[in-house]
This record gives sequence, structure tokens and C-alpha cells, in this order.
Amino acid sequence: MGPVIEAHELTHEYPDGTRAISDVSLTVEAGEQIAVIGANGSGKSTLQLALGGLIEPTAGSVEYFGETTDAEAVRDRLGVLLQDPDDYLFNTTVREDIEYGPAQLGHSQEVAARRIDELASTLGLAALLDRPPFRLSGGEKQRAAVASVLSFAPEVLLVDEPLGAVDAHYRENILDLLKNHTGTTLVFTPTLEYVPEIADRVVCIGREGSVVADRPVREILTDQSLLERHGLRPPPTVQLFDGLVDRQQLPLTISEARQHLTEE
Amino acid sequence: MTGAVAGSAETISGLLRQFFTAEQIAAEDGLLQQRDPRISLLSIAGLALAVMLSRTLAVVCLFGCVTVLLAWLSKVPLGRLLGRSAVVPLISGLIVLPQIVLLPGETVLGAYGLTVTDAGLGYLLFFVLRVGVGVALLSLLVLTTPFSAIVAAMGSLRIPVALVWVIAITYRYLFLFFDELQRLVLARNSRSTGSTSFRAGWDDLRRIAGTFLLRTLDRGERVGRGMRARGGARPPSPYSRSTPLDVSDYALLSVACLAIVGSGVVRWGL
Repeated sequence: MGPVIEAHELTHEYPDGTRAISDVSLTVEAGEQIAVIGANGSGKSTLQLALGGLIEPTAGSVEYFGETTDAEAVRDRLGVLLQDPDDYLFNTTVREDIEYGPAQLGHSQEVAARRIDELASTLGLAALLDRPPFRLSGGEKQRAAVASVLSFAPEVLLVDEPLGAVDAHYRENILDLLKNHTGTTLVFTPTLEYVPEIADRVVCIGREGSVVADRPVREILTDQSLLERHGLRPPPTVQLFDGLVDRQQLPLTISEARQHLTEE
Repeated sequence: MTGAVAGSAETISGLLRQFFTAEQIAAEDGLLQQRDPRISLLSIAGLALAVMLSRTLAVVCLFGCVTVLLAWLSKVPLGRLLGRSAVVPLISGLIVLPQIVLLPGETVLGAYGLTVTDAGLGYLLFFVLRVGVGVALLSLLVLTTPFSAIVAAMGSLRIPVALVWVIAITYRYLFLFFDELQRLVLARNSRSTGSTSFRAGWDDLRRIAGTFLLRTLDRGERVGRGMRARGGARPPSPYSRSTPLDVSDYALLSVACLAIVGSGVVRWGL
């Protein structure tokens, strides 16, 4: 299988002259789990929109599945979840919002209904399906938005800060859904705490909107000087064990830290 | 921002936001809720057409009674229906108000050189009632049928895609428009203390109007992306909620057909 997304020298400037991303080239292979990290204002969301074909970059191009540069032609294979769930939930009920994607993209009603039931159950939305989205809490909206993007089972997921205001219980459920996604996943986030759980490759965007590092997850999350230079902090477990163990041994997650302590 | 003006802006935006969601009534098991959305759409459109064809006050009043009966059978509170339907006829009434002195007829009232005639008053009453009953019928449809089901029914009835698209997008953006207004007013209120005078309230409202316009445009753009991300660039194609037609469906459709024919007969005397 070849690359699902190939971005060539993407640059995007907003009308006020702000350059959000600059010369970003990125190749995403099928099945990869990637975290795109960067500080606030580094251009992650703009990059997500450009990769998802939702804005026209000022320069550069994106090729999808080695077939086309027209995102609309492959819209049913791309799942783009925007940062603010309010921008994603525009129907009169949560159910209508979750089924909007499958209906627009021509999925059968029966298959979509089964998938919506599964997602509603996993994300605790069953009792909220007939309520208008604006009456939901922030975390509920986020869960509804996640269900909306997963409802048409896209091959490639591009999700911007999917955990937002979600509580601990549903946070785990969303992480499980992302981990178990059988296709390709790109998660755009400034929070590194959960990155080791969902990504095996990390792309770091600097403040000037260009790629400053693109390496396996452990190499980037244990590189404190790189992260701090670009306004980021390593996961808490890395900070805790820094200087106490070898860099290669630094635990990235709580379970790794527990295992490390147990072995000690 | 507090005071009468801000309170009104908040109340109106809240009410209008509610206006575009009727999830509780649509979930009831009333007459219209149980009908196939295509039948509801055709029947209500037929009744509205019959109202528009009518030329006598008695016929309009009859259709008014039919509307109230449908609302009662569909468990729609009359206050809610009236609230949703009142604005358009009132504005229409203001537009045709000059007719009360322009139409020739028996003088009912005279002042400042103007004479209000019985024909003018009759026309005003007829016009406002006719618009009111028509709007109430359409409100009844929107209150009792999920909007996506109405759009799907339009599609299956082969209504031109462009028209369906315009209706679907207008409806969604109207909701977002008032949602954004309410957010802005709440954000302002959360950082204001004490009461302000009526004039100061107006000044404050004037200042946020520009911000509101920019925010609405920005949100429209972001929501547009949210729609495109899930196939929104394609014609609207919500799932159909049609069910096998039963006797009640045919009966309602027959009533609508009879209403059109009856209204035509009364109008043209066929």
C-alpha cells in the first residue's frame, strides 16, 4: 500500500497576511498512526484543514491515495474532525448530526444505523440522540462530534484535539476508538500526555508553521530541549523520570512508569 | 450589558434559537408525527395552497379551525403554535395597514382627515388571517416533523435539488445565526455589572452589532467546512424516514385534496 496523503511544500497565508504554515511536506503511509504536535498558534489546525482539503493552500498541493489532488473526490475516505465541536454540529438533533455524514456520502441507512448505535453506546450518547446539540455540555458535544466523524468509517482520520472537554471515562473510550481505528490516523494536538497511546510517529510543528521534527514517538517525546524550544512539554512521566533513568528507558505512559517501578 | 435592550436581545435570540428546534413535539405520538413525512409535507402544502386560494373570510376561518384541530390532534400546544406563527402575519398586517384608509367603503372611524372604511378593515383582517393560517400550517409541519425528514421527503417527491438545497442551508444557518447572537450577548453580560440606561443599552448593542456580523460570517465559514468535511458539497440526501402508508395517511391527503378543490370552487364558482 502506498501513501494515503502526500503533501508537497504546503504554505498557507490568511487574508491578513498571517502565514500559518510554511513549506510543509509530509508523506503519510496507509495504516500509520501519527500525532502532529505544536504549540498554540503553530498552524496545526490550518495544516489539518489543508490536508483535509477544506482550505485551498496558498502554495503547494496535497495528493490523496496516489490518485487525485481533489479532496472532494475522496471525501468518503477522509474523516476530518474540526477543533470546535460547535462547527461540526449544525443539525437540529444529535442523531441527525451523526447520520449526516453517512447519508451525504451514500452509505446504506441500515449499516449507518448499526454503526450509530455502536458509537452512541460507546460514547454515552444513546440518551442524547434526540436532543438538539446546543443543549449539550462541552464534553457531550465533543463526544457527539467524534461519533459524527467515525460514523462513516473513513479510511483516514484527521482529528484536531479530539479530547477537549471530555471527562476521564469517555476520554479512555475515545482513545480506544482512535487506537482501534483500522485505517490511518493523524491527531493534531498540543497535549502530549496521550500521544504515546495513539501514535507511533510524531510530527512536530514549530512556531513558524514548518515541520521541525518528524521521528518515532519515543525519540520526540524524550527530546526535552526540542519540545521546550517549540513551546511544548514532555508527558508528565518523562518529566518525572528525567535524569533518573536512561533517556531510552524513560517511561512515556503511566503504565510504562508503573512497570518500571515494579521492576526496580 | 444589562437593562431592557440587552434583556430583549437575549430573550429574542434565545426564543429564535428555540424556534428552530422542536425536538420534543416532533417526538410525540400525535396525528402528524405518525404520518409518513411525504404525506405530512404534501397535505400541509395542499392545505396552505387552499388557504392562499381562498377569497372569503369564512373560508379562511374554516381553515383556521382545521389548523387548530390538526394542532390538537398532534399534541402541539396552541400557545407554542401561535408564538411561532404570529410574527409573519403581524408584519404583513403592518405592510397592508394603509389599505384601511385607501379602500373605499362605509366610514367606520374618522380622524385627522383620514377615514377608516369597513372594506379596508375587512381586507386587513382577511389578509392577516390568511397569512396567519398559512404560516401556522407550515409551523405545524416543522414542529411535528424532524427537519431532516422534511428534506428527505422533498427529495423523494422529486422537488428540484437546488430548491431543497437552499431550504436546507437557510434553515441551518438561521439557527446558527441566532445561536451566535445569543452567545455574544451572554459573553457581554458575563462581563458587565450594574444596570444601564435604555440609551446606554442601545449604544452597547450598536457597538456589538459589527462584531456580531463578523462572528456570524466567520462561524458560517467554519460550519461550511464542517459540512464539506462530511460530504456537504454534495446535494442534501438525508435518510428517508418513510413508513408504509396507512388509512390515516390517505385520509389526510384526501382532506388536503378536498380542501384545494373546495377552495377553488368557492373562489371561481366552478
